[in-house]
Amino acid sequence: MAPLLEIDDLTIEAATGEGPITLLDGLTVSMDAGQVLGLIGESGSGKTTTARAMIGMLESNLSVRRGSIRLAGTEITAARPRELRAVRGRDVGFVFQGAGSSLDPLLRVDHQLDEVIRRHRRDVDRSRRRTMTLEALASMGFADPEHVARSYPHQLSGGMRQRVSIALAMVVRPKMLIADEATSALDVTTQKEVVQLLTRLVAENGVGMVFVTHDLVLAEEICTSVAVLRRGRLVEYGPVERIMTDPQAEYTRELLAAVPRW
Amino acid sequence: MIRLLVTRVLLGIVTLLIAVTVTFFVVHASGNPVAQILGDSATPGRVAEVTHQLGLDRPLYEQYLEFLGQLARGDLGVSLRYNEPNAELVLQRMPATAELAASALLIALVLGVTLGCVAAVREGGAVDRVVTAVSAIGTSAPVFWFGLMGILVFAVLLGWLPAGQMQSPISLVLPASTLSLLPLAQVARLTRSAMSETLRMPFVVAANARGLAPLRVIVNHALRNSAIPVLTIFGLQTGLLLSGAVTVEYVFAWPGLGTLATDAVQGRDFSLVQAVVVVGVVVFVLVNFVVDLLYTIIDPRIRESRA
Repeated sequence: MAPLLEIDDLTIEAATGEGPITLLDGLTVSMDAGQVLGLIGESGSGKTTTARAMIGMLESNLSVRRGSIRLAGTEITAARPRELRAVRGRDVGFVFQGAGSSLDPLLRVDHQLDEVIRRHRRDVDRSRRRTMTLEALASMGFADPEHVARSYPHQLSGGMRQRVSIALAMVVRPKMLIADEATSALDVTTQKEVVQLLTRLVAENGVGMVFVTHDLVLAEEICTSVAVLRRGRLVEYGPVERIMTDPQAEYTRELLAAVPRW
Repeated sequence: MIRLLVTRVLLGIVTLLIAVTVTFFVVHASGNPVAQILGDSATPGRVAEVTHQLGLDRPLYEQYLEFLGQLARGDLGVSLRYNEPNAELVLQRMPATAELAASALLIALVLGVTLGCVAAVREGGAVDRVVTAVSAIGTSAPVFWFGLMGILVFAVLLGWLPAGQMQSPISLVLPASTLSLLPLAQVARLTRSAMSETLRMPFVVAANARGLAPLRVIVNHALRNSAIPVLTIFGLQTGLLLSGAVTVEYVFAWPGLGTLATDAVQGRDFSLVQAVVVVGVVVFVLVNFVVDLLYTIIDPRIRESRA
């Protein structure tokens, strides 16, 4: 069976006034269902660019120079806009950085969830959509889904907002989840809750997750395999235990040395 | 909410007071209207007599206080020229102006928001450049010039539309489009800038990442979040619209408040001029109050801060 996600020789360029710049250079990684692939690197390493490329949402001045991204059977780099929109949300959920800045401030939580269900599950009627909405919130660990559903984003705490964002990404049960620095803006306690939630989603639903982070400790906790990126190049790639205990690349060793251990 | 209502009403009264005060002293500074009302054949004695009858020989502050007193009782006074209650004269002319202004606002809102949206979505595209150019022209060229050009092209050269007067629904087309140009330009420009900012917001990117249809993202998320600045400018446009109506009604011989005001100014009918100003200010204040209420409907955060 083909992997859930297969990225092969992915090369992305940015058009600038002084000609093209390579942001990502020949990235090859893959991931199966139920696994968590960590994309690790500092700012400018190309990790967010990679994540955005997976759903065909590169910034307008960026383009895929060569290589391929196969996600749940769709070749993203060759997909037409209509196919891409079907893949987004239905096959892959995307959780953004920032505590819930991905929520529309003027719409209630249930309205926003309903909109996603309606888009991807055309056959589902209103009362069933309501059930799905509440179930999605309940599975995010909300004790009172009804209350959260009726809330506006500003009435929720940062951690709650981020859990709502995850609910939005998961509500139509995609095969894959991309979490782009999804916990970085949260305080430590909330971060832990969200990480546990993500881990549970992977374990219980068998989704595959791409976890983009600059935090090695976090990656060790949650990932099954890790790809370390630096300035658009893959410097190290393998199972998380191997990389944490026996890093091959000098850069990975530096990163690990910078992490406090006790 | 009640506090909001009270502040709004108070602010409205202050606005009205400032406007009528300025109007009162400006019209009175323009000289004695009696000679003009009576015509060339009137003797100086007759002029003095009528001036006294109308109370125009009294000290200015006395006249001003009397005017405010009347206004406080809801009395708009009696026209010097027509010798009829101003309220009746204004009410007769109101529907024509309301029809004209409402049509112009509708055109401005629908077309302006649509063009602004398209320009923001396709930034740098053909529509964007046209909108930028048209809104520059729309805001800088005088309204009467557009009116005259409209008459020249569509009435005289092409013969498609009537040049003026209120005969059939189609005679509304030229004056309403002319009047809509300035608000249209401003609404389009503001929608474009608000939308292009909103379209970059994380939640719009996120809505796209959830695979929502582009039109849905634009209308349900981006436009809703851009609505408040657009509404604000829309409310302020009512003022410009009323002053534009004066010009447009004159150019198209439209029997509304604008022509009434023009005639009143030319005939130095002080009390009628003031009555028209009062009505204009009240409409302006009311429209902006409605806009203010709409903020509450659109934005739950504003709603809560006012609850």
